[in-house]
Amino acid sequence: MSAYLAVSGVNKSFGGLQALHDTNFEIAKGKITCLVGPNGAGKTTIFNVITGFLPPDTGGVTFQGRSLDGLTRQQIVHQGIARTFQNLRLFIDLTALDNVLAAIPGQAGETPWGAIFRPFHTAAVQSRLRAQARQILDHVGLADRANDYVRNLSYGEQKLLSVARVLATGAQLLLLDEPASGMSAGALDNIMALMRRLQTEGKTLLVVEHNTRVVQRIADEVLFLHQGHLMAQGTAEEITSDPELAKIYFGGAI
Amino acid sequence: MDFWYTYIILAEIYVLLGLSTNLLVGIVGIFSVSQAAVFGVGAYIVAAATMSDTMSFVPALLVASACGLALNVLVTLPSLRVSGDYFVVTSFGIQLLATAIFTNWTGGTGGANGLPGIPPPDIFGIAVTETYQFLVLSTALLALGCLAFWLAMRAPYGRLLRAIREDELAVAAAGKNILFAKVSAAALAGAFAGSAGGLYGTFLSFVDPSSFDLDASILLLTMVVVGGARTLAGSIIGPFVLLALPQLLALVDIPTTVAAAARQLIYGVLLIAFMLFRPQGLAGEKL
Repeated sequence: MSAYLAVSGVNKSFGGLQALHDTNFEIAKGKITCLVGPNGAGKTTIFNVITGFLPPDTGGVTFQGRSLDGLTRQQIVHQGIARTFQNLRLFIDLTALDNVLAAIPGQAGETPWGAIFRPFHTAAVQSRLRAQARQILDHVGLADRANDYVRNLSYGEQKLLSVARVLATGAQLLLLDEPASGMSAGALDNIMALMRRLQTEGKTLLVVEHNTRVVQRIADEVLFLHQGHLMAQGTAEEITSDPELAKIYFGGAI
Repeated sequence: MDFWYTYIILAEIYVLLGLSTNLLVGIVGIFSVSQAAVFGVGAYIVAAATMSDTMSFVPALLVASACGLALNVLVTLPSLRVSGDYFVVTSFGIQLLATAIFTNWTGGTGGANGLPGIPPPDIFGIAVTETYQFLVLSTALLALGCLAFWLAMRAPYGRLLRAIREDELAVAAAGKNILFAKVSAAALAGAFAGSAGGLYGTFLSFVDPSSFDLDASILLLTMVVVGGARTLAGSIIGPFVLLALPQLLALVDIPTTVAAAARQLIYGVLLIAFMLFRPQGLAGEKL
């Protein structure tokens, strides 16, 4: 079986710092894969390489058997891969609904001439997309916050909104950068339930996560990254029961 | 009566130009201080074309608009490479370059003496010679401009531009083409500025470099700040308020040289005061 997403032989250096060192892994379709490792292990760099935000020095990424080499960030989203950011990067002066709408691809009226010369067509399409965006917000549990500005949302709600925004792109592979960090216990349950729900709908998730309890509860597969190198791959139990990895993760000397 | 008409026509022309500046600076966040250069190019093109009888007013205005579009795209291109503060410096240079050309290319622009005797507009055989006729023309064009601006801003295009100003990277992550959005915004802004220039020169029947220098660019930014960034209402209010000032000073009995200096002083004070105490302007959003 060919892998859904394959990262092969990726090296990436920033000056003298080698962030990714011959990184290889594959993830399977329809699974939740968690990417763990201590700070500076290269988790976010992996995200940046997969989504075209950073070109790898060597090596490459294939998605559904197709190489992503040389594709722009935009083209990679259109292939079906979308990401969130650790610091969310929401549009804080827009409403929750507009944040979601902004990510829906290929809208009428997204060019000045479309907007100016086909106003009725644009408005008709917008009202349809608005309904779609409301549905997405409803899906993540933010239906009642649709018309609120992002700056008035709680941190937990903002995290859910960042997930809503990647859903709006229509991508099938979702890269979530620490979706559960800094959340209260209740909000944590919410986001974990959401990730499970997305999985049952056929999405594939690659999740950077620090909270081992979250990892144990959601991960089908865990990738352990250390100093830009894939140290281990296995189930959550296998990874968390390995004393060597625990030592690295919790700051043992190595 | 003509006194009022003149004030309204000039304000309307500046509203068209303000829409252009607001689009670029307020909405997209490309902080350009060279909009007056594009305005000037539009004015000189219509002046040269109609004075030499190469074209009548309507096609000349279309050409001015198209040249404004092309020029503004070229002028804005550096903003896609250098960001924020650096672009201000770049566009400052572009403005100085434009002023130098307007002043020194005596063959084309008449140099510092300008081009006098621009014929009144001729709309499909109807000569617009009276001020009130011109008011109808400028109001009609302004209405078209406002409609276009309003339609573009309420459409997904407007939302895309606002999102880009807030966080370009997040827009890229959503799979949108940032380069295209910015270049097309610059094009739209350029078309507005070019046609505003054409109207301006024709209305005054005279153009010279002093209307299109750095002071003019800064006056434009002041209009956007005072009126209010990012809104249609703000773009309309700003020019009407700021152009009322010289008219009011004209009513006061002071020598013209003092009045000119007083005007600059008041513009400067207004700009600083609004930035400090009311950054959203009279009817806009915080810049």
